[in-house]
Amino acid sequence: MKEIKVENRREGNILSRVFDELNEFCRARSLFILHYCTGCGAIELPPVMTSRFDMERLGVQPMVTPRQADILLITGYVSIKTLKRVMLTYEQMGSPKYVIGICSCTVNGGMYWQSYATAKKLDEYMPVDLYIAGCMPRPEAIISGLRSLIRNIELGESNNWKKYYENYDYYLGNQQKLFGDEWQTPVDVIGEAEHYGLVGEGTYGEHTEILQRVQQPLKPLEMRL
Amino acid sequence: MRAENYQQQSHPPSNQFELNFGPNHPGIEGNYALQVEVEGDVIVKARADGGYLHRGFEKLMEQRLWIQNISLVPRICVPDPSPMEVCYSMAIEEISGIEVPERAQWIRVLQLELSRIAAHLFTFGGHAATTGMYTPMYWGVADRDLILDLFEEFTGGRIYSIYNLPGGVRRELPDGFLDKVSEVIDYIESRLPEYDNLFFRNAVFIKRAKGVGVLTQEKSLEMGVTGPNLRATGLAFDLRRDDPYLVYDKLDFEVVVEEAGDAWARTLVRRQELLQSIRIVRQVVAALPDIGGELRAPIPNPLAWRVPAGESYARVESSKGELAYFVVSNGGEKPWRVHVRGPSAMHAVQVLEELVTGGRVEDVAQTMFSLDACPPEVDR
Repeated sequence: MKEIKVENRREGNILSRVFDELNEFCRARSLFILHYCTGCGAIELPPVMTSRFDMERLGVQPMVTPRQADILLITGYVSIKTLKRVMLTYEQMGSPKYVIGICSCTVNGGMYWQSYATAKKLDEYMPVDLYIAGCMPRPEAIISGLRSLIRNIELGESNNWKKYYENYDYYLGNQQKLFGDEWQTPVDVIGEAEHYGLVGEGTYGEHTEILQRVQQPLKPLEMRL
Repeated sequence: MRAENYQQQSHPPSNQFELNFGPNHPGIEGNYALQVEVEGDVIVKARADGGYLHRGFEKLMEQRLWIQNISLVPRICVPDPSPMEVCYSMAIEEISGIEVPERAQWIRVLQLELSRIAAHLFTFGGHAATTGMYTPMYWGVADRDLILDLFEEFTGGRIYSIYNLPGGVRRELPDGFLDKVSEVIDYIESRLPEYDNLFFRNAVFIKRAKGVGVLTQEKSLEMGVTGPNLRATGLAFDLRRDDPYLVYDKLDFEVVVEEAGDAWARTLVRRQELLQSIRIVRQVVAALPDIGGELRAPIPNPLAWRVPAGESYARVESSKGELAYFVVSNGGEKPWRVHVRGPSAMHAVQVLEELVTGGRVEDVAQTMFSLDACPPEVDR
């Protein structure tokens, strides 16, 4: 996965250049949002989805399964119990994937900054592409946020999902602080990083050592008819 | 699963499975989960699994000033936030003995009833979507947006209005606002026959909803069911009539009752309540121009307000059921204890578990929507 900057792209082969641009053009215009409402910001999503604000005109649609979705919307505060599910969901999603943090609570804890039950900064647990601040942001703000995400994807600037592989140790360390040292997910992130050539300086570290020490090998699912 | 991980195992044939229904599930209402054991399609055991939205509200409220909590309480129930702030303000007014001016009371009724219409329209849309009908969802959300526009105009916020203070309301209605209210209300009333034809009299919906999730009157009283769900079992109990607060005793409306107690009856009660709320809003719109006076009673400096020691229990009828605040003050700057009695805590846990057991998997979502449970309020 060699990264070619936008300004250098024109120097390459014409055919591959056309193909790359077509690829990003199409990717930016067919985005599926995972249908997972984590907090109160989800109440503004039905107006965005339905006829009044209609995000489908941008090519954005809700999708029910994580493996087919491109965008993970974190709509508001995430309690620690939800954050576990969010992490599982995020790691299941296929790359390239984008995370949008809606509402102030994902930025800095919002009005629950004192709460014992919520995770304050979403950025510590997964790389976030875009924040839409407000409590709660209006549908117009969500639409404009989606539009800037689309623009970023088209320009090839929205590559935060690679940071998760490159700095896996940092993100895993923050997760272990919340969930305990036994925390593990079914997805082999280090293996994926090696496979796709995304190993960075922060992929390995003290926290991944803890993970490798305590990791239970995955068992096959019980098949029953 | 990778091929090298797969080992074939033989099991006795069985049709029993465990299913995680939610939290990431399009049929569930909000961030909430049910763990069900199914035998084929029939549910033999269900366990509600909440806590995904827990923020520790009651603890947070003990750490903030009395006035700061006004902006915190609407977050407890997101689809229907207005009763929260009104009820909390009523509880404080009762402790400190503040008399609310009449005009403020009428404006509060207007706010509560508009919020109820918005919440019912939203539930109606979501409920239709669980039975596979997506057009009513589009209609319900679009018509609810008209009311949100009204809220935006007179309170400043689409969803969370934060319009009330202990002692009254914050500011005067904008010019020409009542005309806009009657325009929107007329429009929504003209839409009701279309809703009937599309959804409430739809053969698909009737077949799916009739006889599903039947609650008897004894059972519902045992389990603390309130609001439209209780009225759908044949008991005419409505706090607005039986324990009137604000100015509801001066208003003319009917308490809607259905006998069957199933999902169909619960939906019909909400449908009729839309009409009753429209009636109430019309009366308020007609009466408000003649009622003058102050908007709020004088209160001490809100940032250094020490509410006198005492305790109070205020309750209102929200769109989900009976909502109550138990507030204890020890004379300090912050509440000593606030307890929220939310209707959905009963509806979404014990009642939902009871109703889905013995039913079919495809009816779980519908049962949850017909109970109109509100997950953020369950977890708080």
